[in-house]
Amino acid sequence: MFLSSLIDGIATGSLYALIALGPSLIYGLLRVLDIANAAGLTLGAYVGLKVWRATGSLALGIVAGIAASAVFGLGLQRLLYRPILNRGPLIPLIASIGTFIAMEEAFRLVFGPYPFAFPAKLGLPTLRFGHTVITGVHLVILIVGLLVLGLTWFALRRTRLGLYWRATSQDMATAEAMGINTRGVVAAIFVIGYALAAVSGILLGINYNTVYPTMGDIPAYKMLAIIVLGGLGNPLGTIAAAMLIGLVETFVVMYAGYVLPRDAIAFIVLIVILLARPQGLLGRSRKAA
Amino acid sequence: MALLEVERLTVRFGGLVALDAIDLAVEKGQFVSVIGPNGAGKTTLFNAIAGAIRPSEGLVRFDGREVQGSPSARMSHLGVRRSFQVARPFASMTVRENIRVAAAGKALLQSLRCLGLRSRDRGIAERVDELLETFGLARLAERKAGELNMGELRRLEIARALSSRPSLLLLDEPAAGIGADGIGPLAQLIRGVHRSGLTVMLVEHYVGFALSLSDRVVVLDEGRKIAEGGPEEVRRDERVIAAYLGKEGSRSTGTNPLGGGA
Repeated sequence: MFLSSLIDGIATGSLYALIALGPSLIYGLLRVLDIANAAGLTLGAYVGLKVWRATGSLALGIVAGIAASAVFGLGLQRLLYRPILNRGPLIPLIASIGTFIAMEEAFRLVFGPYPFAFPAKLGLPTLRFGHTVITGVHLVILIVGLLVLGLTWFALRRTRLGLYWRATSQDMATAEAMGINTRGVVAAIFVIGYALAAVSGILLGINYNTVYPTMGDIPAYKMLAIIVLGGLGNPLGTIAAAMLIGLVETFVVMYAGYVLPRDAIAFIVLIVILLARPQGLLGRSRKAA
Repeated sequence: MALLEVERLTVRFGGLVALDAIDLAVEKGQFVSVIGPNGAGKTTLFNAIAGAIRPSEGLVRFDGREVQGSPSARMSHLGVRRSFQVARPFASMTVRENIRVAAAGKALLQSLRCLGLRSRDRGIAERVDELLETFGLARLAERKAGELNMGELRRLEIARALSSRPSLLLLDEPAAGIGADGIGPLAQLIRGVHRSGLTVMLVEHYVGFALSLSDRVVVLDEGRKIAEGGPEEVRRDERVIAAYLGKEGSRSTGTNPLGGGA
């Protein structure tokens, strides 16, 4: 029981990390809480589902979902965030929330209000070790999640883009003066962030066998809790916070039952930890320049 | 042909004229200082050349090309690099990473190669090692830039500007905030950089420091160019002395505010 909860918790945590990592990277660069990222998640799930239905190939569906979400994210950055970025933090935030709501209505208009099933086979069997059971879907989430997180960590620490991201997120004007193509960095991060959202949307859709217009609601506020908990703009903190919340949720449900809605747990963890560490898990208190 | 030509360069902030129709030219290999009292427009001039602000009027020609209003990343790719008056390191990155990140190539190459491994950048790594050595930062290479003291930050600022092998270096008050005993070694470093073949422009508040390094000096006051010439010529110029005395009249009036002979 303990072991299967542990694995469930890690699987949930890696899914949360996939959801929150994009907005965390984007926040690091632009200091904008990109709520609309959750619309990329829903868009990715719908496009993935439709293309899978039409072609029978899940791989093609995933690629199409990623592409659609990435184009949406890039468009959002160019047409919405760029023009209003220097108007203070509140205006982009509200624009982002507005976009998210508008996109949910758009999904309702285009795809209808009813949920679709997403019964794609991921091709992995359910594993049993004595009392420990891991379903095929959870196994895939676990593998994809850890793989993508590993790749992201690697990209941030070992590639040029990672170096440019860190410089740009610390001081965009200086990065620009040092010849870094900051617009290119921002564009690359939006593509990556919205691609991650599409992957999480498709995994969510398959996991719960349902895709519906407001499926981005819970991810939207949970990613907010995770990003804040991890220390704003710190991607490694985001991953740690996602794992923590995934594990705490799973174990609370496991040992205490549904004493309170599962999705409230993230915020209770957030509040408790922020009382002790206002800068978040891995965030550092800002030093005076 | 001059490496840098500035013609009738004007910068206005609202109603305030920060730079008023400045003309100047810098030949390849020259060392030109820009001096003047506080608020004369020295940093604004650098900002306008380096692409940090867009001039209201006038031309900036670099290497024969008109570049006024180009963004700072493009100026950097063309070969114009600057240091900042208030050091602006990437504080949570190491000293080595600070220099490394500033050695990025052209925009297109950056986009194509941005997922490449940093460990592949041999040529750049050698350049970074060389700069760490020259600027006395080698033993601090793995420290976070946020932990450096003022003198070290000043050297990092220049090393970082040099990492992309620019052809024109703009130094904005490189001696600001370091003690009197740090100035000599810093002047030595800057002289070395210039001798290696670089064209240098220096904005400086310490006039003696600037005059000792320069081939030519441009004097700004209240956004206008009031004098230009060799260091000795400028030192004796009545208008220059008046401008400095007018601004810093609290000094004892008997001495030349620009200091005695070199």
